[in-house]
Amino acid sequence: MLVFIFRRLLVAFSVAITVSVVSFMLLHLSGDLAISIAGPESTAEQVEQIRIDFGLDKPMVYQYFDWLWGAVQLDFGRSYYFQDTVMSLISERLPVTLTLGALALGLATVIAIPLGVIAAIKQDTWIDRLALTIAVIGQAMPSFWFALTLIVIFAVNLQWLPAGGNESWQHFVLPAIALGYYAMPAMMRLTRTGMLEVLNSDYIRTARSKGLNESTVIFKHALRNAVIPVVALAAVELGFMLGGSVVIESVFSLKGLGQLAWDAITRNDYPVVQAVVLIIAVFYILLTFLADVINAMLDPRLRVR
Amino acid sequence: MKRILEVKNLQVSLPTPNGDLRAVRGIDLHVNKGEMLCIVGESGCGKSMTSMALMGLLPKRAEVIAEAMYFDGMDLLSLSKKERNQVRGMRMSMIFQEPMTSLNPSYTLGNQLCEGIIKHKKVSKDEAKKRAVYLLERAGVPYPEKRLDQYPHQLSGGLRQRVMIAMALMCEPDLIIADEPTTALDVTIQAQILRLIRELQQEFGTAVIFITHDLGVVARIADRVAVMYAGQVVETASAKDLFADPQHPYTKGLLNCIPIPGKTLPGSHLESIPGVVPSLIGELKGCAFENRCSVSIGECCYRSPRLENHLGSEAHQVRCPIATASFQEAV
Amino acid sequence: MSDATSTVSTVSNANTFLPVVPEWRRTLNRFLGHRGLLMGSIILGLIVVLAILAPWLVPHDPYLQNISQRMIPPVWHEKGSWEHVFGTDKLGRDYLSRLLYGARISLTIGLSAALISGLIGTTLGVLAGYFGGRVDAVISYIITTRLAMPVVLVALAMSALVGGSLQMVIILLGLLLWDRFAVVARSTTQQLRDAEFIASAKVLGASTTYILVRELLPNILSALIVVMTLEMAHAILLEATLSFLGLGVQPPMPSWGLMISEGKAYMFFKPWVIAIPGIALMVLVLAINLVGDGLRDMNAPEGRN
Repeated sequence: MLVFIFRRLLVAFSVAITVSVVSFMLLHLSGDLAISIAGPESTAEQVEQIRIDFGLDKPMVYQYFDWLWGAVQLDFGRSYYFQDTVMSLISERLPVTLTLGALALGLATVIAIPLGVIAAIKQDTWIDRLALTIAVIGQAMPSFWFALTLIVIFAVNLQWLPAGGNESWQHFVLPAIALGYYAMPAMMRLTRTGMLEVLNSDYIRTARSKGLNESTVIFKHALRNAVIPVVALAAVELGFMLGGSVVIESVFSLKGLGQLAWDAITRNDYPVVQAVVLIIAVFYILLTFLADVINAMLDPRLRVR
Repeated sequence: MKRILEVKNLQVSLPTPNGDLRAVRGIDLHVNKGEMLCIVGESGCGKSMTSMALMGLLPKRAEVIAEAMYFDGMDLLSLSKKERNQVRGMRMSMIFQEPMTSLNPSYTLGNQLCEGIIKHKKVSKDEAKKRAVYLLERAGVPYPEKRLDQYPHQLSGGLRQRVMIAMALMCEPDLIIADEPTTALDVTIQAQILRLIRELQQEFGTAVIFITHDLGVVARIADRVAVMYAGQVVETASAKDLFADPQHPYTKGLLNCIPIPGKTLPGSHLESIPGVVPSLIGELKGCAFENRCSVSIGECCYRSPRLENHLGSEAHQVRCPIATASFQEAV
Repeated sequence: MSDATSTVSTVSNANTFLPVVPEWRRTLNRFLGHRGLLMGSIILGLIVVLAILAPWLVPHDPYLQNISQRMIPPVWHEKGSWEHVFGTDKLGRDYLSRLLYGARISLTIGLSAALISGLIGTTLGVLAGYFGGRVDAVISYIITTRLAMPVVLVALAMSALVGGSLQMVIILLGLLLWDRFAVVARSTTQQLRDAEFIASAKVLGASTTYILVRELLPNILSALIVVMTLEMAHAILLEATLSFLGLGVQPPMPSWGLMISEGKAYMFFKPWVIAIPGIALMVLVLAINLVGDGLRDMNAPEGRN
């Protein structure tokens, strides 16, 4: 088990490094950063000055290791646009996004798993069809559009909840729904197919042959096995949600990591963009690692490895 | 002798896209207290469906009809879901064909062994564990105490089947249905498990319905035998009578397929029954075995034979008018 | 041994006694019997036909501005008229015409991006699955790294640097969305690697390229087509998101995402300006997903679930 964890950590670490190299390269190869920062009306001398000020005249490899050395010490440099260090910007914004992500995932789980279980038990009835319809429509709906629709309905017409900002918990309700609805369909469908598969398995027949109550059969014997792959999916979805928070946060003007990234992108503030990409990637890696560990705890067959 | 189970005219059908699959077509069966009844037949003849119908484990879409299905005087078909759950597991239990997949991978063996008895007999956890250890030991599982905390994947197939046997005995049931419990095991282990089931059956006085496609197994353990073909019982008799004096052409055919040590010469041709089983979808006209039978006559094509006493004895019944008639002529 | 030989021949297939149905008839019946697939194909077909015929169908020039005809509501609204069935936008452009031209953009981007990413992903996946060992390890590592990168964020950052345009969005999405192709191609190839027809081709001395392209590829194609539909839907949604955030297709092109973005300021009082393009997006993505799910069900060995 310890060896397993150690090996996974090693892979996770090297993936994080690779992601940082790739994102660094992508940004530097996509265009001349100095020109982007200086803006379209700047003179050649101004661009050169910026190139020297930001260290963009040095070789790319040097720039990368310089950046990486800082990143390892949690120093991502200074923002070009915000008059602050990248690290303090991030530590200010990260809690908002993590709260949003956790709320959205919690919401998605609370709806997806019971719905998937009911749909599987009542296979081919109207409940099953309704659940599948919700899932299929959910997967087809653009999240930013769903977010706007929520604002129009709940913030403007019904005036139940605020449309934007992050002053109180009410400000998180609509964004969490908008973001959670994005992860719900996949989790619901996985729960449903997992339950259907498990309910047809030999060990469920054994459990029934023992004369156990239907609720014991479903909740003790079936659900635990059906939910194992859903845990892994939930972790991956949370990672995606952190990435997708760019869209939702900008729609709801929620001051989180996503909006910070969005502001940084539109203002060519690359140190911030790079740091956010790396941090979201690291979270994704950590989450998938965590999912593996939870899976191993839930499934005794994996524990011995 | 008291009958623990009595079934009259049991029919099971399953809807399929091509029409209703009538897997069981009117079966009469009974099991005496403490006896070993073997149901034998080739795969697809409805023997597993019969056992699942007895346990009440068929999928909801399956339709089960019977004139009577009495278990120790109780009509199983009229029981409520809760009462049926009480009978199943406590008074009748089951051993399945696939030991590798029949145990839940997520729970310890102790948990799975004890949950039934804790629910049905309201015993404490410790008492349940004590009984589990005792039965595991009786079932020949080494280190029984240690096993309670182990998970199924830590055991071999043979051991898992021993655990399943112990599990079936936990509540001291009156009837155990064993559905091909040795088919998935290695031949050497098969023999051990057979002997174990026979021993425990005699020791605990439990009635057993043993389902198999293997006449060799039948010869070793059965008190009585029911031969099934295409969803019907075609012959039933005590094991001794069946092997000594088979009446139905299908039973005779089956017995001819077995090589007999000493009698069958090495390299000689083994017999087989020509033809294939008819489709079980929809109505069958006449005798189901007619197309493969060597003694069939014109009337077999349209008249369905009934299960009739052989020599006027209820103990040996045959579903073949020709076998019955030719015997009477001979007398 | 008496044990083994007394086993009697198994029961014949229930179909033996039914009339033989030709293969294409059975495929057609399954197609018609699958309600989702049928519905999805009809809707998708309709959208494709409308998009192709758009130049001849549109009532107005989608780019023609007319300030006196601004913000006319759609025909079902009391102030609407049949002159502009879906009304006009803030510059007086006919909404129906723009919607039809928008379908061309969505379909072009979806199809092209899915083709590019399909090419990349399939190549990587087939190589990993066929050669296994070190090749597999390297490619799997690349896939893991790609999965850890937040797609939306990276796409936004890159298009901000390069500048948004139709071609740019296609290339960007094509370069980013190949992961699922790679995963599916890898696992299906692994299953087929040791198949007899591959072995016999090897024995006959066929080159590796020949085996991969002529023997293996046709056999994994059906699985890849399913991924293709799902990635098309994914690309269409991402394009809309990028355009909505102003970093995708640029005005005055009538991308649906851009239309929603342009209508955002008016959505509180004139909700149809975002409702119409949003529903169009949802219907298109829904149709593609239904086709994809349907094809997957038809590919599954047991047919429908």
